[in-house]
Amino acid sequence: MSARDTILATLRRNGPDPSAHPLPDPARLGDADASPERFAASLAQMGGTLLDRQPGETLDQAIARRFPQPGLMICSLVPEATGTVRIEDLPTPRSAEPVDLTIVRAAFGIAETGSIFLSEAQLRLNALAHLTQHMVVLLDPTQITANMHTAYLRPEFHTARYGVLMSGPSATADIQGVLIRGAQGVRSLAVCFVPQQEDRGGSAPT
Amino acid sequence: MKRKPVDHAAAATAFIADAPHLDFHDARLWDMRQKRDAQMRLLPEWQDLRARASAIKEHVLANLADYLEQFERNARRNGIHVHWAADGAEHNRIVAEILDARGATTLIKSKSMVTEECDLRPYLAARGVTVTETDLGERIQQLDDQMPSHIVVPSVHKLTGDVARIFARAYGTDPDADDPHQLAEAQRLAARPVILHADAGMTGGNFFVAETGTFVVCTNEGNADLSATVPRVHIATIGIERVVPRMADLGVFIRLLSRSALGSPITQYTSHFRGPQDGGEMHVILVDNGRSARLGMADFWTSLKCIRCGACMNTCPVYRRSGGLSYGAVYSGPIGAIIDPTFNERKYSTLPYASTLNGSCTNVCPVKINIHEQLFKWRQVLVDHHQMPFVKREIMHMAGKLMGQPGLYRAAIAGAESALSTLPRFALYNWLNPWGRNRELPQPVKETFHTWYRRNRPAAKPAPFDNAET
Repeated sequence: MSARDTILATLRRNGPDPSAHPLPDPARLGDADASPERFAASLAQMGGTLLDRQPGETLDQAIARRFPQPGLMICSLVPEATGTVRIEDLPTPRSAEPVDLTIVRAAFGIAETGSIFLSEAQLRLNALAHLTQHMVVLLDPTQITANMHTAYLRPEFHTARYGVLMSGPSATADIQGVLIRGAQGVRSLAVCFVPQQEDRGGSAPT
Repeated sequence: MKRKPVDHAAAATAFIADAPHLDFHDARLWDMRQKRDAQMRLLPEWQDLRARASAIKEHVLANLADYLEQFERNARRNGIHVHWAADGAEHNRIVAEILDARGATTLIKSKSMVTEECDLRPYLAARGVTVTETDLGERIQQLDDQMPSHIVVPSVHKLTGDVARIFARAYGTDPDADDPHQLAEAQRLAARPVILHADAGMTGGNFFVAETGTFVVCTNEGNADLSATVPRVHIATIGIERVVPRMADLGVFIRLLSRSALGSPITQYTSHFRGPQDGGEMHVILVDNGRSARLGMADFWTSLKCIRCGACMNTCPVYRRSGGLSYGAVYSGPIGAIIDPTFNERKYSTLPYASTLNGSCTNVCPVKINIHEQLFKWRQVLVDHHQMPFVKREIMHMAGKLMGQPGLYRAAIAGAESALSTLPRFALYNWLNPWGRNRELPQPVKETFHTWYRRNRPAAKPAPFDNAET
């Protein structure tokens, strides 16, 4: 018998009585507040920041204010911001390694945890989200869902092959318990509330 | 397999002797416990979440074969190769075959306790595959040739200076570095080129979803997502018990996992893999390695509900003061002490005694495993199977006789009281009496409760147990 058949047969023989262990209905729990304010507070707790635009400032100007260093390699995946390199010119993970800053639109955000959802539909090259040094994420405030229970009702979890909830930048506390933001993935993650422009191409929701 | 039992007490004694390490370890883990408590208090629905998590897991375990088949069907439909491994040896063989067939000789890996169970690294090393752990704590442990001492924070027993010395040897950094930031940066810089040039990547999996064929990886450093998305081939090793029925069930577990583990609302990365990326290849290895047998153990099957958060370790006074390595097993702490004996009853026969049975582990468990009751049950099983040290066995044997006969018991108590007051110290504090090792024995009393009661309540109705004397 194959390992598969042996395992399944043993499980069927050994398992407790299924009728004694019914499946509960999906949970509908938790705070239903889906406001940008709650999202921002949760994001700050996870080490992320908000990128605020001053009156009259374009997104490019706001980004330049946050990242003033000259000569940065910037990959923009959104029509709202200008980059220095196009995603089409980054065909492999290795070619994406020198990217300093990636600008991408999240499919949605979660107020409870300050998480943003990215998939291959937004990233085009999944590894870019982790090789880039920094990330600016555009989020439509109407695409914030209240909590993890409501989040898992989103259709993206049934369509994306790779879907990552990023909650602030990478972090570690593996050396003597000292919390370090910017471990092996992005060193910083900033979210900018920008409503989705329905008529603009290139960043359509999945 | 005949193996000497792990001498947990001796290893713990050595750990305790090193005050700076002990103090940090104890305080760090207690801090994680307190952060967990703070998160718990923020959620009025916390106990409801625990109850649901427990109910979902018990339902899954009662229907595990069906859910595994459903997962397999859906994952295959999405282009994932699904493999089954009855034990560690089979798991390792499958990994080696996947790598061999693609001429892969370098593998980057994120933390996975199941691959620790299978002892994957030495197996692959012997076949010419270079395996690099990419999680910082796990990498520190790999470079130091030690097992992880905690399932969430593998190198929590080390201080910054220990890491500096290990990195100096491996990466040529300053052996006197005392800034964790500097050392974490050294790991980032050392790992990047290895990750970029690896032939294959490997991760574990915290959950997998029958409904969609998805598996989920919860991490903080970004190394797991790098390991999964940079190389063309992604292999994920997952224990068969980690399945949940529906995508909607994940919310309950994700909300509990990191809050219970580290006291953070969620891990920095919660990654859902439902199929290979463009031009890539994805494999899932479903590992049994004793789990299907454990499911048939009436007193212990609920240990399979475990989501590996480590909360029971952080709260355990014995774990905090003995360190994970003292358990001599892949899984340490309270959860380890009830799982490990299923892998090797004799070798891990001492671990269920590494507990005060205070029940704190049970109270913090997000899936409501009755850990302290299982610890107690294991002691009974091990006695029945004669897996008990000689001195403890003899003492328990004598105690059993005494407790069963109140007359004998009272005579012995009276004798013990006079012994405590008259015997010289060397007769009380020696290797036959572990209770005298780190504590002073109680002051003898002038009179036992029983003789006091007899003297002061002569007219009272005799208590029922007195009948046993006649």
